[in-house]
Amino acid sequence: MSATAVERDRGVEVAWSPSPEQPRESGPAVAAPLAAALGMITLAVVNLGTAASKAFNEWVHGIGKLWMPGAEGIGPYSGKQTLSLLVWIGTWIVLHGALRNRDLNLGRWLIVFLVGIGIATTLLWPPVFEYLAGH
Amino acid sequence: MNASEHLEERKEASTASLALVVGILIGSALAFVLATAPFSALLGPSQAAVPAMFHGLAAFLYLFVGTIGLYLAWRLWTGRIRAFADLQLLATVSATLSLLAIVFGNWLYIYYRAKDPASPRSWFLANVPVIHKIFFEFKEFIALFTLPLTVAAAFILWYYGAQVLDRKWMRYTVAVLLALAFFYLVVAFGLGAAVTKLKPA
Repeated sequence: MSATAVERDRGVEVAWSPSPEQPRESGPAVAAPLAAALGMITLAVVNLGTAASKAFNEWVHGIGKLWMPGAEGIGPYSGKQTLSLLVWIGTWIVLHGALRNRDLNLGRWLIVFLVGIGIATTLLWPPVFEYLAGH
Repeated sequence: MNASEHLEERKEASTASLALVVGILIGSALAFVLATAPFSALLGPSQAAVPAMFHGLAAFLYLFVGTIGLYLAWRLWTGRIRAFADLQLLATVSATLSLLAIVFGNWLYIYYRAKDPASPRSWFLANVPVIHKIFFEFKEFIALFTLPLTVAAAFILWYYGAQVLDRKWMRYTVAVLLALAFFYLVVAFGLGAAVTKLKPA
């Protein structure tokens, strides 16, 4: 028996939130990291696009200026954040709804998530995106 | 008295006592600081002093909380965590501090990239372009990763509650999310501190 199980057997409170009565499906635990990775990949891809195209860069800046205070001074970075945020939250809502009653293999999806975040990090390393953008 | 009875006799500190301790600590620190140095000298003459202070404060607090969170994430990974409730709280606080650091970072960024020859960006491009073109650009992007990672970790910890403890891959998932968030925080924090040291905004 693990240490945590012993603690719970003695009636010590272990969590702030009461645990759900029935075990919840693992789908939402896949959706949250996966949406986060999609948001990060979006940031990387949009940044690559802004490095490759001046017109796209201006469009991205325009997206930021739609709502972000100080976006004029922040520059296209405001639009990159906005698009990344939209994809992250948007895909999370969709994935959570689609997977909430599904029990998935968390280990497999954790690997998919790690590959995604690895791709995003690599694409955001300036020598890489500058090279891909043709500079 | 056996060990079980001893545990049941424990009482948790109230939220009010915790708030009082935090208030006394912060108040004492502020009193000592303001008694020994003028407030204006603490911030410096730069127009960016206020956003820089808030950005640095949020990032430093996040580093502090994130370090404890990393330790608890490791305990979670091993399945021998006793402070699960604390991890729920720390993940939430980490996500909040990450958001604050990003918001204040955006405010500070306006001064960093100002079209003024004296702005840090202009100065770096004229003198050591590699600092801006590689290190700062990388830092400004990966710092954003900390928010979705900590939010995802906090969500899983609250949504599943103590069920997380019984599910090995769910424990691994949360631990990996918090460890990665800490990694990106440390890289961004280090690069940010170095850039500020070289040319403050």
